[in-house]
Amino acid sequence: MSCFALDEERFRLCCRLLLQRSDQLRDGWSWNVVQGSEEGYLKKTVLRSDSELHATPTAEEQQREQSAAAPEGIRGHSEDDDDEDDGACTVLESSRQALQYEYHVLYSCSYNTPVLYFRAFTLEGRSLSLEEVWSSVHPNFRLRLQESPLDTITQQEHPLLGQPFFMLHPCKTEEFMKPLLQAAVDQNRPVNYVLSWLSVVGPVVGLHVPLQYCETG
Amino acid sequence: MASDSGEAASSSAELKLQFAPFSSALEAGFWHQLTQKKLNDYRLDESPKCIKGYYYNGDPVGLPTRLTLEFSAFDIDGPTPARCCPAVGTLYNTNTLDAFKTTDKKAFIWDAIQSGAALKDPSILCRFILLTFADLKKYHFYYWFCFPALCFPEGIKIVQRPAVLEQVFSAKQIAALQEAYDGLCVQKGITAVPYFLMKYSADAVQLAPLGDWETFYTDMKKVTVGVYDPCTLSQHPGWPLRNLLVLLANQWGSKVDTVEVLCFRDRTMQGSRSIQHSVTFQVKLPELPNSSVCPKSVGWEKNPKGVMGPRMVNLSECMDPKRLAESSVDLNLKLMRWRLVPTLDLDKVVNTKCLLLGAGTLGCNVARTLMGWGVRHISFVDNAKISYSNPVRQPLYEFEDCLGGGKSKAMAAVERLTKIFPGVNAEGYNMSIPMPGHPVNFSQATLSQAQRDVEQLEKLISEHDVVFLLMDTRESRWLPTVIAASKRKLVVNAALGFDTFVVMRHGLKKPAASQSVSTAADSSPSCSSASSSSSTPAGSAPSVPVSSLFSNIPGHKLGCYFCNDVVAPGDSTRDRTLDQQCTVSRPGLAMIAGALAVEMMVSILQHSEGGYAVASSSDDRMNEPPTSLGLVPHQIRGFLSRFDNVLPASLAFDKCTACSPIVLDHYEREGFNFLSKVFNSSHSFLEDLTGLTLLHQETQAAEVNHSHTSG
Repeated sequence: MSCFALDEERFRLCCRLLLQRSDQLRDGWSWNVVQGSEEGYLKKTVLRSDSELHATPTAEEQQREQSAAAPEGIRGHSEDDDDEDDGACTVLESSRQALQYEYHVLYSCSYNTPVLYFRAFTLEGRSLSLEEVWSSVHPNFRLRLQESPLDTITQQEHPLLGQPFFMLHPCKTEEFMKPLLQAAVDQNRPVNYVLSWLSVVGPVVGLHVPLQYCETG
Repeated sequence: MASDSGEAASSSAELKLQFAPFSSALEAGFWHQLTQKKLNDYRLDESPKCIKGYYYNGDPVGLPTRLTLEFSAFDIDGPTPARCCPAVGTLYNTNTLDAFKTTDKKAFIWDAIQSGAALKDPSILCRFILLTFADLKKYHFYYWFCFPALCFPEGIKIVQRPAVLEQVFSAKQIAALQEAYDGLCVQKGITAVPYFLMKYSADAVQLAPLGDWETFYTDMKKVTVGVYDPCTLSQHPGWPLRNLLVLLANQWGSKVDTVEVLCFRDRTMQGSRSIQHSVTFQVKLPELPNSSVCPKSVGWEKNPKGVMGPRMVNLSECMDPKRLAESSVDLNLKLMRWRLVPTLDLDKVVNTKCLLLGAGTLGCNVARTLMGWGVRHISFVDNAKISYSNPVRQPLYEFEDCLGGGKSKAMAAVERLTKIFPGVNAEGYNMSIPMPGHPVNFSQATLSQAQRDVEQLEKLISEHDVVFLLMDTRESRWLPTVIAASKRKLVVNAALGFDTFVVMRHGLKKPAASQSVSTAADSSPSCSSASSSSSTPAGSAPSVPVSSLFSNIPGHKLGCYFCNDVVAPGDSTRDRTLDQQCTVSRPGLAMIAGALAVEMMVSILQHSEGGYAVASSSDDRMNEPPTSLGLVPHQIRGFLSRFDNVLPASLAFDKCTACSPIVLDHYEREGFNFLSKVFNSSHSFLEDLTGLTLLHQETQAAEVNHSHTSG
């Protein structure tokens, strides 16, 4: 059993290898350090346009945002009239309906496993509720997601940032990692715990791990 | 998509270059960090602050051209994400809305262009301004970005229309360009170069930093500049090119006529990199009318309405601790549905208004379990004050609550619930519930007080969906049992002995209208499980096939707490044993019974027939459960000494002192007059009324008879 547990040192090593490969593949992972501490986490941000995701803000939300009248004092800008800019092409608000997805990989000391934290937000920086995130997932995938044994999404404060995130609870991680690691041991094949784990849990929340990660050790 | 109006007018000789403006993109963490800064560092300080954003040239087609600010934006020396270009900005966070001031948005860029500083540090060309106002009471954030751009009065004429690089460059040239760009990055020690100079031949590409202009271009007949381009449109460059052209015009305008531009776009998809979708075109570099006067500038971002003005984002849901608590509680419950019980109807539970009669050991535990289920509307009725013995058993109270004579339980319970979960809608009523055998007719004052109490209780029961009977005496349960039966409200009753408990739902009478039809059947003599089965006529449950007498009892025929008794409630504290008083129960019992009472309510609510659901019994434990949560029993009787529960069911008793038709009929016709007679009389009044007295006499006679014959 102990050979399947992941200690923090090995977690860091796995992350370093993953980062090296990510850099080669330009996959966008980075190591972020919390200021004034030793602790850090893997981070990746992905932007998706809304049409791709079948998600639009509810009519109510749009109404709410549009009706939020600018308070007095913010309006006046007399310096020059920007409206007269024919050097800019028009950007429709609809083209701004993109969602930013932020994924963090942290180490859990209590479970001895990696943990995936994520949140999704609009370009304004407003985080989506879990239902909104789900409604942005393709219906076919949503069904699979609900039936998935990995579906252990919980809302929790990010342990390092103190901001609300969703997380895939690590309580089942060992359960599905064990056979995977056992197979690797049996076949005497090196395995990056974090990478293998990420390739299993990532797709559940729309995070794809390109196959090229496995092409070179 | 941005309009490709330029493309439509392609035949026109006067084709002008249009730039895709930046769309501001803020990460959720940015607002969290701004809030922290405002609260801890800036406080009332309105002086401008330096912040840092970045832009990226590797987005897939269709995504807006963004300038992103993340939570690390305030850490000006922090790293920029790999292969992104940093953009430094000035944050004006104002304390009041009125303080959103006019800022001189263009001077610093013009100064940097004139002095040549922009040649050494071209990132100055992408400087931005951000005005913010944070309403931290409502968690509303107003913000307005400006990406200042200096303008040529006559615009910029396109000489050669934009084309995708792979149509212009050979594969060899593209490969050479990529290699040269990577080399430039290595040379500069960065992962993205915002602006660069370029020379190329059929099989080679040479790049140099912007600052090397004078040495790189010996012949200025034809110059090619490369821009790290965040735009994904095929016909337009992104914003960063705009100020660069002004810089070129200012520095070399007299020598350069035509500028070839490479909008360098570099994306990697599924591990495979490409730059061949970069865009290239040629423009005539316009002259600046007067090189010492700052040109006109533009760049304020439009709001969602498409006009110049700030944007607003409401972050109360992810920043207001109270809203966060609510959404977390709800989410936790939804997860139960999503993961384990897909058909669970949570709204039914959450929206149930619960009236808790009694805020003692049972009341406290019931309230906490209701909160766990997300029930928002919880009302307490209790007339007691918190005493020193209470806090250890009653989890809503603390030692402090006992001081100075003790706080009112009902009020303190509300206070504590609100502390535990501010989203709860809790009310407390410090009042007594009149009881049979406890006279109220000492004076006119006591009588009218009792009348007011009855009216208040009637009102409360009307306003709630479920009534929990959690008092410490039997007789105090009588009045609410009668009122709730009359109003057809679901009653869940919990009572404790020393190491035994009963949790039960009262039978829910059919609605008054339909009852008139079935009165005959319903009021026909029936019996409780405790008494002999011989007194129940065969016709008592006609519609349901009965395997045994006490299985499959529909909800409307189930008994109440008093149905099993052959004595009317009276003053139990005076002349009865203490076994119905929870003050002498094993400490764990109230938690078990309180929790079961709530879980029973939830199971009832999940049944399609609610309180009319057929009672499940212990025998049903092996059968297909009637609800997604399992059985819906009539009663749970627990025996802590054996750690065992049983699920008996019993019929309503036609001589019940609380729910029998004759009692309800008297209550409904005479109201308080009838009730006051009950309060003021001994228990024989109800026993006479319901026929219990007669039953006693008959039974005694039978016993006498029996003992005679057997003895």
